[in-house]
Amino acid sequence: MNTEPDRQNEPSEKGRINFFRPLPGFMRKKVHYIWVLLASWACFTFGFQFLLVLLEKSPDGSSPLTEKILFGFPFHYWYSGQFIILWFILLCLLYNLFVDRLTGQYRKRK
Amino acid sequence: MLAEHLKLAPALLLFAVLAIFILVGLASRTAKGEYYLVSGRSVGRIGIGAAIASNWMSAASILGIAGIFYLQGYFAFAYIIGWTGGYVLLLILMGAQIRRFGKYTAPEFVEARYASPWARVLSASIAILISLIYCVAQYKGIGLVFSWIFGLSYIPALIFGTAVVISYLVLSGTLGALRNQRFHYTVLILCFIFPLFLVAKKLGFFWPVPQIGYGAALQEILSRPDLAGTAPWLHGTPYQWIALCFTLMVGTAGLPHVLSRFYTVPNIRDARWSVVWGLFFIGLLYWSAPAYATFAKVWELRHGVAVNPETARALADIIVIKSAEWASLPSWITGIVAIAAIIAAFSTVTGLLIAGAGAFSYDIYYQLINPTATERQRMAVAKVTTLVLAMVVLIVAAKPAALIAEITAVAFALAGNTLFPVFLLGIWWDRTNKQGAIAGMITGLLITFAPLILGQLIPGLQDLLPPTGSALLGAPLVILITIGVSLLTPPPPDEIRRFLLEKVHTP
Repeated sequence: MNTEPDRQNEPSEKGRINFFRPLPGFMRKKVHYIWVLLASWACFTFGFQFLLVLLEKSPDGSSPLTEKILFGFPFHYWYSGQFIILWFILLCLLYNLFVDRLTGQYRKRK
Repeated sequence: MLAEHLKLAPALLLFAVLAIFILVGLASRTAKGEYYLVSGRSVGRIGIGAAIASNWMSAASILGIAGIFYLQGYFAFAYIIGWTGGYVLLLILMGAQIRRFGKYTAPEFVEARYASPWARVLSASIAILISLIYCVAQYKGIGLVFSWIFGLSYIPALIFGTAVVISYLVLSGTLGALRNQRFHYTVLILCFIFPLFLVAKKLGFFWPVPQIGYGAALQEILSRPDLAGTAPWLHGTPYQWIALCFTLMVGTAGLPHVLSRFYTVPNIRDARWSVVWGLFFIGLLYWSAPAYATFAKVWELRHGVAVNPETARALADIIVIKSAEWASLPSWITGIVAIAAIIAAFSTVTGLLIAGAGAFSYDIYYQLINPTATERQRMAVAKVTTLVLAMVVLIVAAKPAALIAEITAVAFALAGNTLFPVFLLGIWWDRTNKQGAIAGMITGLLITFAPLILGQLIPGLQDLLPPTGSALLGAPLVILITIGVSLLTPPPPDEIRRFLLEKVHTP
């Protein structure tokens, strides 16, 4: 087997697909937006659980967040049971609005 | 204890509904011609969203979620959040790219992206394994509900249920009936939510929106914190919660066929928007499931019924049905919930068995064992495999090891540890090669099954890698190994890298 990288067959350094080094233009803008959405996805899902741990007063996790009542539910219960699904729907919505705009821009330019 | 007597109304209703589904399936065929032509305009984004939701709903959603709530309170939100948040991950990270790539099942994608027969066979085997585990959970649901309807004990009910599934599969196959997914979703969600209004009304809660009304029910049982289970870490540590939730999310994203309708819609913009609707339709189910469990507990509290842990575990997976029964609704209304569960389980099982058999006959038998096989031979192999898979699942499901949602979660852990990295890296890093993909998938298999097989032998292993949450550590590790092995071996062919650049990542 020829293990030496074949320079001719290798796409140039600029034309590589790498999530952490997106190509300028469409891909870079899209990846930036993906980062923002991923961050809010992670914060609202896992960040909230960390918050519960940080604020807990006893090992079972009782905290001001679990004692406050909202719409008849303990706050953390309402958050995980009802709010976060809405939040996910909103994230998908935002992604779609953004991609619609971005695609519009780049299709026109072509 | 669960099996009492034959309930006539639900039994008749069940066969009536199955017959209606076959008839509607026949009607959709003549109207549509080819099944994937969703004819964008007339169906629209809402219709595709309903199809996505119908494709998703299984016994795990209908029976399993409420069962976990009944037993584990807040811990169960890890399932709900995992199974909805996974769609966000799939949509923003991979949906559009996989669609442009043009290969939607794991073996097809692996074949096209990594160009290696071994990687393909490996991914096909993993896909079959996922189907099998997923089906075991569905079979458990079928067995329990059949046992409730027909007054049989679990094993005979399971065998009877399997016979009905296979007959349904063969009958709709021979007649050429298709699944009208919008109709399917509508029936399912109505069957699931309608009885909930009545339960809420019977118990005296705010019934017009029982999804909010059960807050008051929760207050009522909060006087017994152990029963209510709302304290966050009462039934699992924060690590277990996060591991499970993360695993289900990457597992969802690792099963891109859950968006199957997404990929067959002519207009990609409609496809993207349909996910918003799909998630809303799935949300309708997940907003409601905890209410069933809460109402069941309220009834127990009011009637002073003390359920011991063992009975509670046995009841959990049919608690949605019990909840309606305890509220003394007429038996045909209780039967509606049972039928929703059966329909969801049936469609999931038939879909998975056919897909699994297809993967075996095409990706393993045709590619590896008999490359000269004719179309007819492959069809025959697929048919035999369907039956074999159905029997294997039956044997495993005869003594189910865990709750429905837990068994399903293991299938998601497997997908998250193997297929998710293969798709993610395949799309977002063009340097990933076949050696990396194979090494990654094998590591993923080991990580998924180590806590199940070696959990008893190695102390602490299940704390680190819970069987239902192994992908929190597993998926990142598999990604690192795939990257490492890829860098140590020659880069993939230039054509595929150019294809990714020019076709997959363009506006």
